Amino acid sequence: MDPSKNDYHFSFFKPTTESARHNRNMVVQLVSIWAVAIFGFQIILKIIEKPVPEPALTLFESSWIAIEAGTPSAIDYQGAGQAVLSVLGKIAIKADDKLLLENALSTFAWQLSDQNDEFKSTVSAFEEIAASITDISDETYVTKKNELIPVLAGLFGLNELDVRSKIAPLEVKSSLMESFEDSGMDRMVETMGLYLTHNRSVLTDTKFLGFPFHYFYTAVFLLILFIGLCWLYCIRTDMFNKKYGIED
Amino acid sequence: MKKILLPAALLAFPRLLHAATAATSLEGGFKVGPAIILITILILFVLVGIIFRAKDTTDFYAAGRGISKVGSGMAIASNWMSAASFLGMAALMYGSGYHGLAYVVGWTGGYVLLLILMAGQIRKYGKYTAADFIGDRYYSSTLRAVGAIIAILISISYCVGQFGGIGLMFKWVLGIEYSWAVIIGGTVVLTYTLISGMLGVTKNMQIQYVIIIISFLIPLFILTAKFDYFWLLPQIGYGSVVSDAISGLPINETKALVNSLGHDYAIVPVPEYAMPWDPATGKSFFQWIAIAFSLMIGTAGLPHVIQRFYVVPKARDARWSVVWGLFFISILYWSAPAYAAFGKILSAHPEVGALAKDAIVVYTAQLGNIHPLIVGLLAAGGVSAAFSTVSGLLVAGSSAFAHDLYFKVINPKASPQKQLLYARLATILMAIIVTLIALKNFALIGQLVAVAFSLAGCTIFPLFLLGIWWSGSNKAGAIAGLITGGSVSLIAITYFIAGKSGLTLPAHDFISYWLEAWYFAWFGAPLAIIVHIIVSKMTKETPIEIRKFLVEQVHS
Repeated sequence: MDPSKNDYHFSFFKPTTESARHNRNMVVQLVSIWAVAIFGFQIILKIIEKPVPEPALTLFESSWIAIEAGTPSAIDYQGAGQAVLSVLGKIAIKADDKLLLENALSTFAWQLSDQNDEFKSTVSAFEEIAASITDISDETYVTKKNELIPVLAGLFGLNELDVRSKIAPLEVKSSLMESFEDSGMDRMVETMGLYLTHNRSVLTDTKFLGFPFHYFYTAVFLLILFIGLCWLYCIRTDMFNKKYGIED
Repeated sequence: MKKILLPAALLAFPRLLHAATAATSLEGGFKVGPAIILITILILFVLVGIIFRAKDTTDFYAAGRGISKVGSGMAIASNWMSAASFLGMAALMYGSGYHGLAYVVGWTGGYVLLLILMAGQIRKYGKYTAADFIGDRYYSSTLRAVGAIIAILISISYCVGQFGGIGLMFKWVLGIEYSWAVIIGGTVVLTYTLISGMLGVTKNMQIQYVIIIISFLIPLFILTAKFDYFWLLPQIGYGSVVSDAISGLPINETKALVNSLGHDYAIVPVPEYAMPWDPATGKSFFQWIAIAFSLMIGTAGLPHVIQRFYVVPKARDARWSVVWGLFFISILYWSAPAYAAFGKILSAHPEVGALAKDAIVVYTAQLGNIHPLIVGLLAAGGVSAAFSTVSGLLVAGSSAFAHDLYFKVINPKASPQKQLLYARLATILMAIIVTLIALKNFALIGQLVAVAFSLAGCTIFPLFLLGIWWSGSNKAGAIAGLITGGSVSLIAITYFIAGKSGLTLPAHDFISYWLEAWYFAWFGAPLAIIVHIIVSKMTKETPIEIRKFLVEQVHS
């Protein structure tokens, strides 16, 4: 249609020329693919996800029942301690949660040591050194830390080569061993659940090229798709322009 | 168990926080090698800027329209790959895991919209600046002035994050305080922009792209090779790093892989790093979607990005330059998550201490025991990324002031020399304002930059989208839409600044969550578009000359 007959009124949805109609259809197709690929996938991810606990949470929950009831065995303290170390090893935790978990861990260690003052002094001595040094390669600091690792690993029933054994000396605090408030105990289950429960599904558990599939899709594939969509648009626009004799 | 209250013990606890961590040793003092690399690159930039400097206003604003589509694609990529891409994206993923990928998707997916909805048409419209388009399309010098002011605000907002990145890298290289690093870095980038103008900037951008991408990729090849992953294509090889982080990595007894501080290359399971909207990150599904959407429409509304389409000779070149630009950008965006994944494992030991997230790219290379000169090159790449973007932003902002405000509205008889003078004065003023805000260190680089995207998405994007694709879009609709988008932006930014200043406004938590400063465009942009359409339909239609121009020049 001659646009002048329409007083040059036009819109994306009501194109006035054949080439504009082609362009509209192409844009609608590409935007639809784009939108479904981005948002559709995330919506599916959301719909099919289920909160799945880490094994450490299951271990903690089974140990915590006895601790909360006031009838814990050494195995309960060890299980809870291992689980708490699994959270403290994550690093990215809130400051007040970290304090709570260190408090719990120190209390467990104290109980597992049979409230041994010598153990507490050893931890305290290490803390003194840690507080005084400016370089973590300080020889005394490294020696004391390496002495404490097997002690704590033994208490918590961990292999010395377990990652958690390596971080334990930095998380057990002598000042937090003999105190654990009721409010802290009340927060434990919720706090552990927060850090040890994750949204998982078949899309997150399937591996593709080493990636969890959903991660590969979002971080790698979508970018390839975007380039592909842009490339397709340019190719088809060039073809249309040639077909309709449009000069840029 | 004993439940005894021992407040004294708890009070004594903070003392232990002073225990040594490696964060300070990673920071270190003045680093000679990296400093030489950085200074050499900066001198190179200035020399290129001098050689290709702007000779008149046309050169200054639009680089003479003599850039090829591949060259323009590189310039788009360099212009785009800012400190937010180079440093900020890895920081977001390091801190918030999968949530950070919303930024990766948002900052690339927007180019699809930009291309198929705008690039060619903008070039065909044939203006110099975003405000030029708004003023002409909506036949209003007031809207032109408002468009120019918004363009300046967006440029300032965008630059703040960049200056933060420059500050962090100068701090790391020179071993000086953040404040001084921002001031020194800001002065250097200002000097270089003033000398070069946009022609120099475009040439520089091509060189900067090469430096940025090489400096970013070399350490990644080394890291993947050193820690025994598929190193030939680290953008794929790091997939196993992500999986290792999810399942946990035990200490390897046979290979003795360690970081530069001697800690084992090992970590407890951290599925929260990769699982979607993990409760431990405190981020939700809604926030993921809102960020991706806001960044995408913001991309299609950023004046300094739109302006790049004026520097290519033809509309076809504008279209193909987007494809090339996106490809060049994606090389970096495929790589950035790898730094975050390696950083997560390499910094897992508590002795490493709290690292500045925005410098995690550099810290990861350091912890990976990569040669200091290569780490220095990486830091210089970060500075280059920030420089290339800042120079484009300062040109866009100063163009908006000198061309759209001063020449088109205040003094139409101004000579080209006077316009150039005002453009340069505006550049200096903007740099000073940005430096002052950057010193406040409000948020992560990526988040600060995202504010500019939401602002652009709420204001400029609706004007371009409807202005190009609907002849019924008129001045009254544009004003109403702009007021709506501007109001949403104002509310969101006010709540953000109030929150940072320790003030609590009415419904603070509600507004801060649903209209957070990095994603308020999810609501503001659609609302502005709807209001724009309704008001346009209710008021006097667009003059026929403009409708005719759109049909005959832009869409034929």
